[in-house]
Amino acid sequence: MICLMSRRELKTKAKELAKRYGYLPYMIERYLSLWGQEETLRFLSACEKPIRTAIRVNPLRNDASSTVESLERKGVGLEKIHWLQYGYYSDFKGYSPGSLIEYMLGYYYIQGVPSMTTVEVLDPKPDDIVADLAAAPGGKTTHLAQLMDNSGLVIAVEQDKSRLSSLKSNILRCGVTNAIVLRGDARKIDQTSLEPTKILLDAPCSGEGLIPLDPSRKTSKSMADIRYCATRQDELLDSAIRRLAVGGEIVYATCSIAPEENEYVIDDILRKYPEIRVVPIDIEFGSPGYPNPYGVQLDDSLKHARRFLPHLHGTEGFFMCKMKKGG
Amino acid sequence: MKLELADPILWQSVQTQIDSDFGEGVTRSILANRVPAVIAREGSQSIYLIPYDWMTLADENLDDFEMHHIGLWLGDMVDERFRLGLPILEHLSTLTENIIIVNRLSAESFTYGKSIIKEGVVRLNTTLKRRQRVVVIDQDGQVIGLAALSIDGERLVRLSKEKLVAKNLVDIGWYLRRMG
Ligand SMILES: C[S@@+](CC[C@H](N)C(=O)[O-])C[C@H]1O[C@@H](n2cnc3c(N)ncnc32)[C@H](O)[C@@H]1O
Repeated sequence: MICLMSRRELKTKAKELAKRYGYLPYMIERYLSLWGQEETLRFLSACEKPIRTAIRVNPLRNDASSTVESLERKGVGLEKIHWLQYGYYSDFKGYSPGSLIEYMLGYYYIQGVPSMTTVEVLDPKPDDIVADLAAAPGGKTTHLAQLMDNSGLVIAVEQDKSRLSSLKSNILRCGVTNAIVLRGDARKIDQTSLEPTKILLDAPCSGEGLIPLDPSRKTSKSMADIRYCATRQDELLDSAIRRLAVGGEIVYATCSIAPEENEYVIDDILRKYPEIRVVPIDIEFGSPGYPNPYGVQLDDSLKHARRFLPHLHGTEGFFMCKMKKGG
Repeated sequence: MKLELADPILWQSVQTQIDSDFGEGVTRSILANRVPAVIAREGSQSIYLIPYDWMTLADENLDDFEMHHIGLWLGDMVDERFRLGLPILEHLSTLTENIIIVNRLSAESFTYGKSIIKEGVVRLNTTLKRRQRVVVIDQDGQVIGLAALSIDGERLVRLSKEKLVAKNLVDIGWYLRRMG
């Protein structure tokens, strides 16, 4: 249960915790009003611990069980992640996970557990036309192709020129042959006549879920940065939804834990487009989205969104929400 | 950068170069039921193989976007010389006799961009000639790149162990080096 604090108490407590854990005070204030003191403390202490490395094996390049066998023969410890088809927690025993020949051959991809989960939630099929609207470096693009067995079409869009070569490299390394790579601003996707049956919007975000991986994030972003991201996310999602085929599905995801970049963005879209509804996710993982963050009542269906949180799931923080477009 | 079908003269030149390096009919087998498409870049043309119906993508009002990649990358034409792309080598290795098998140590240094010396060669066809392109395969049967022979195959037995046998043209370490 969240124990209510007065505004002054909250500010004082936030300042103290911010100092102790090295954060900007505004962040802790938000955590305290979102979760209360006890859960905030559990979150802060979980962010001090490392996140387990994970890989996704890639049957487009090699039979999944052969890859597992050959990695195990080399002494890599692997533990299957139970809700994922191809995901494994992995212990490379001090070696760099990207240094093995199996990696160069595209037999596996090093990827966060929440990222792998996002693509399984979208559940692309071989006859789908899928738009991946913020694609570099291609972790999700290559996973989409893998689940589609290199059939159908994946349209990978990336704006940043310097990130295109990693996207293309990963596509080639992983044996993907059903993708096209477009450079441009995905906010302009509504100017095209594409009609994807599925869309993945792994939106650029403030990265507030990545604190366990990148402690500099504790002090690098202001509330204004979060607002800037939220505006861009709104525009990206709006444009995506306009091009989504009727009956099609979209997964919106970020590696931010900020409700401002997640539930608030979806809530805006639900108000604007009555034909869009949040659909339940039928895989067991994570915890529900927040329909009532900071005491603000949003669309109740946001409980069907999912969150990964370091203190509850031992992963980086992440948000995802699946929606469907009606007629 | 726009998507276009490869014009017949360009495609003929690609086909001639691949077939003369790896054997008559090899390009046709690789192409199968796809069509060759081109994305022109500064100083080069990238050739991709795609299903024919993907050409309709050119009509999808993609004016705000630049196309950088599509389907299966076959390779690049640079100064009239065709350079095969890495993704095609595995298929190619099943269609040609032009292969060189190397030992574990040599395979490892090859993936760091190094060339192949006599000591690392496990098998090479003696009928192959100098400058011939060969697919490089490690002892586990994994395709790790492409090389150009620096000697006639028949001379291999007489070579001392540190002598150059094949020059690295491209290897799978490129995927990582390219990402920086
Ligand atoms: C969270 S990352 C995507 C990670 C990727 N989906 C993966 O799984 O490997 C967000 C990406 O969106 C790109 N981006 C930012 N703004 C964009 C825009 N307006 N249009 C397209 N891409 C954009 C960024 O350059 C960045 O590469």
